[in-house]
Amino acid sequence: MDTVRATLSRSHRHKEDGAVNHPPTARRRYRRALRWALALLTLILVVPLIPYGLAGESQLRSSSADLWRDARQTIRPDAFRTQVQGDETAVLINVVGDQWRTFRTQTLVPYGGWLLLATVALITLFFLFRGRIRIAGGRSGRLVPRFSANQRVIHWFAAGLFVLLGVTGLVLLYGRYVPIPLLGPEGFAVTASACKEVHNLFGPIFPFAVVAMIISFGRGNALRGLDFKWLLRAGGLFGGRHADAGYYNGGQKGWFWLTLLFGLAISVSGLVLDFPLFGQSRELMAGAHVVHGVVALLFIAAALGHIYIGTLGMEGAVESMTTGYVDAHWAAEHHNLWLAEMERAGLVGVEPNALEEVRRHDEIDFKGFGAPGAPTTEG
Amino acid sequence: MAKVVTEHDYARGVAVLREQIDARVAAYLSSCVGCGLCAEACLFYTETGDARYTPIYKVEPMRRLWQREQTLAGRIGKALGFGRDLTADDFAAWQEMTYNSCTLCGRCSMVCPVGNDIAYMIRKQREAFAAAGYTPDGLQTAATRALEIGSPMGVTWKALAAQIGHAEKATGLKIPVDVQGADYLALFSSMEIMNFPEYIAALARIFAAAGVSWTVSSQAFEATNSGIQIGSSEIARELVGRVVDAAEGLGVKYVISPECGHAYTAIRWDGPNLIGRPYAFEVVHILELLDQLRRDGRLQTEGFDERKLTFHDPCQIVRRGGVEQPPRDLLAMVAPNFEEMPDHGKMNWCCGGGGGLSANEEAYDLRTTVFKVKKRQLEAVGVETMITACANCRIVMEEALEHYAMPVVIEGVTELIAAHLKPQPPAPTGD
Amino acid sequence: MFLEFVEGPLWYASVAIFAVGVVIRLYEILARGVKPDLAPPRAGGTAGALRTLVSRSWTAKGFSSGALFHLVAGYMFHLGLFVLLLFAAPHVVFIEARILGFGWTPAPHWVFIVAADLAFAGLILLWLRRVMHPVLRRISTFDDHAAAWLTFSVMFTGCMALLLSHDSLRALHMLSVCLLLIYFPFSRLMHAFTFVLSRGYTGAAMGRKGVQA
Repeated sequence: MDTVRATLSRSHRHKEDGAVNHPPTARRRYRRALRWALALLTLILVVPLIPYGLAGESQLRSSSADLWRDARQTIRPDAFRTQVQGDETAVLINVVGDQWRTFRTQTLVPYGGWLLLATVALITLFFLFRGRIRIAGGRSGRLVPRFSANQRVIHWFAAGLFVLLGVTGLVLLYGRYVPIPLLGPEGFAVTASACKEVHNLFGPIFPFAVVAMIISFGRGNALRGLDFKWLLRAGGLFGGRHADAGYYNGGQKGWFWLTLLFGLAISVSGLVLDFPLFGQSRELMAGAHVVHGVVALLFIAAALGHIYIGTLGMEGAVESMTTGYVDAHWAAEHHNLWLAEMERAGLVGVEPNALEEVRRHDEIDFKGFGAPGAPTTEG
Repeated sequence: MAKVVTEHDYARGVAVLREQIDARVAAYLSSCVGCGLCAEACLFYTETGDARYTPIYKVEPMRRLWQREQTLAGRIGKALGFGRDLTADDFAAWQEMTYNSCTLCGRCSMVCPVGNDIAYMIRKQREAFAAAGYTPDGLQTAATRALEIGSPMGVTWKALAAQIGHAEKATGLKIPVDVQGADYLALFSSMEIMNFPEYIAALARIFAAAGVSWTVSSQAFEATNSGIQIGSSEIARELVGRVVDAAEGLGVKYVISPECGHAYTAIRWDGPNLIGRPYAFEVVHILELLDQLRRDGRLQTEGFDERKLTFHDPCQIVRRGGVEQPPRDLLAMVAPNFEEMPDHGKMNWCCGGGGGLSANEEAYDLRTTVFKVKKRQLEAVGVETMITACANCRIVMEEALEHYAMPVVIEGVTELIAAHLKPQPPAPTGD
Repeated sequence: MFLEFVEGPLWYASVAIFAVGVVIRLYEILARGVKPDLAPPRAGGTAGALRTLVSRSWTAKGFSSGALFHLVAGYMFHLGLFVLLLFAAPHVVFIEARILGFGWTPAPHWVFIVAADLAFAGLILLWLRRVMHPVLRRISTFDDHAAAWLTFSVMFTGCMALLLSHDSLRALHMLSVCLLLIYFPFSRLMHAFTFVLSRGYTGAAMGRKGVQA
């Protein structure tokens, strides 16, 4: 605790803009961050619903308008009965579909498109200005086991499904705007048919991949004080001294929790949409569409960042997920506390073989990183 | 006389390898889907993590030859100039996988989902390597000694006669030698004669008490077969032929295979196929014979060994030989505190010393490393005494136990039974 | 036009290559022969063969932990594919029209979805393990990868054509089926037939020794 506080006050002293910043405890900071995250998520999900919520408020007074309003059942929707029993058989004209269509064409598509383009632009700019983050001091040639074979299998399983579902989903969302001008209506009909079938068939597998990811990668992802420090410095992304990090750094932990949140949201909404056999109302389906679409676009934008930094963006990163081993110098820069732990266990500079990576991987104490009293380089 | 090939001749190896591919091997190679489960069963992989010790990878030269010459895809590829033939480098590189890291224990053969008998394939690949001279020095020496002297360890009849003399003095019994028309011919392994000669005395006492008509042959006493170890059917045939000649010459009804693993494989299962005809006698393992005597009431014991003890299943006797229950029934007579180790029975883990590894100095470090699995089994069952029925297992494990500073003592089944024999007047012989 | 070619001449050619190829491969194996076993058996070889033929369908006692991944993913794939192949409605129609002349009740749609998802998940997980695990990396051949990807492409093109509305998608699926049939006898996919021989031979040999393998 003292180390954390001392570190925070040191960073406070070095703040460049001179803004006064009370150094709160790590716990309060964590709770605040959580509140902000939840507030932001709620805002993102609610804001698009405001327009059509407002639209329902218009009160034009005239007899035909009254008749029209009654027929549309926007006032007193339960007052209508019919002899035919079933879902929505007492609904004369349904407006929810049109509300969804409006949201999709006026909000989801344009904002989503800008979001994706902006993300790609930002990443490109970052790459052009910051370049590929090289391994400080070059490769040492000494390997450290990082991810077991099962972990890598589960990761690429989820990643492959994500890409497949993302691509097919984007084709379906942006069909009118991008593929149709390229392929023509008949060509797009075939493409869209194929994409829809693939998206709907592979979709139900994704929840299992998400759960598998959570189970396989959960250990070591609890948020701690040093992770918020890391996030403050953006991990040293913009130069300057790198922050402490354990097995996972703050950014990775953020990505883990994001994957959990978004993954579950998209899975649940997707299952609601894919299997309309359980009496889902039109409102529920429309709502599920909103959640699915919004979360998907946010997820894809975040994933683009993850993919960039894991491949092109950082030298020495992708091999952790392909070979399962990383270079010791890379670990020293990006996961210094974890490297120290691996040195203590005698696992640095090992020959790659199945025994090392599968068996002893489980012996590392992840809870030790960043906990009060745990060794840090700032000691 | 058969010869041990010491000069490298890989082309001869390829020719012999080609002949080894029978319908069984072809079926196995066609069915393998590369699942890698065989590795999980092999102690050489599980204790080192070295993927080169994957059992099916050990027969990669055989697979490549079969694929290239005996599949349509391979033949087309060869005609079009794809792929490459086996070279001397392949033989040199694979000598380690064929000999140093495989005991022919057959555990891999038990788990393959498509039923491949990989140990069978490795045995067949050894034929090619032996014919090509790509064999470890230790095995070449052992096989040469076996052919020239009669024992891989150089044990002569004189040495055995001396041990027999000691046993007679210790027991006060006469041990029959070269008795024409005896019922049973007893064989010994050199390892027993040199390291565990109490087996000889134990046999004498048990057979006297049970009234078994038996003899030892001065012409052929060696049960071990270096031809099997090095993988040369020619050498194996000559060695087993000596036993067959002696046994048929003496006119015995049965030949007893002693407490040695691959000796049982050699004489019981491989022998008739090596010499190309059935024997004029039957082969019985000492454990089977003792168990039969027990069931007939001719083997009477008294007293119990109160120590907590467990049983190590020698691979060639239990998994590859089919003698799983007899040692347990025998131990049940005298050991009330017997406890099975995990993975006991036909899925037990190899001691790491069979298949010629104990004669192969190059493999010493590796077999010490892979003993860790046996160490874990012993720690799990928590014993200080282990019984087994193979002298080779015994010597290999005693060395390893010392290396790991474990206070475990190993004994043989026969000597344990003999130690608890109920004193009886000798029954008339010849029944 | 392309669809007619793929469902006509190419289909017949690939079925012929498949049938003839499988027979030749089996003959090539059996023709090499096995020397008769002269050692007196302890028990029957036939009983042993039949026993092992069945028993290798699950893992040996005490071996489960090493084999769990393969057991689960393997059966997900094989059973899912089996249900898909024989009980998916479009397949039953095809079998009735083009192969057997009779059909059967196809599976309900939800069964098909579950089977397809299990088959896809199993296949993807198995192939990923093949490229990630050190042992499988070492023993895998081009054949293993080609077979996996060909099978995947058959399943994937089938999925794309599920709406049954576009000839081009149907043709793509039929094309990949034909390619798989042509590839089959030249590859490790032959294990689908030869596993009977390999399990049988080992079971017989071990059975004669009195070992239940």
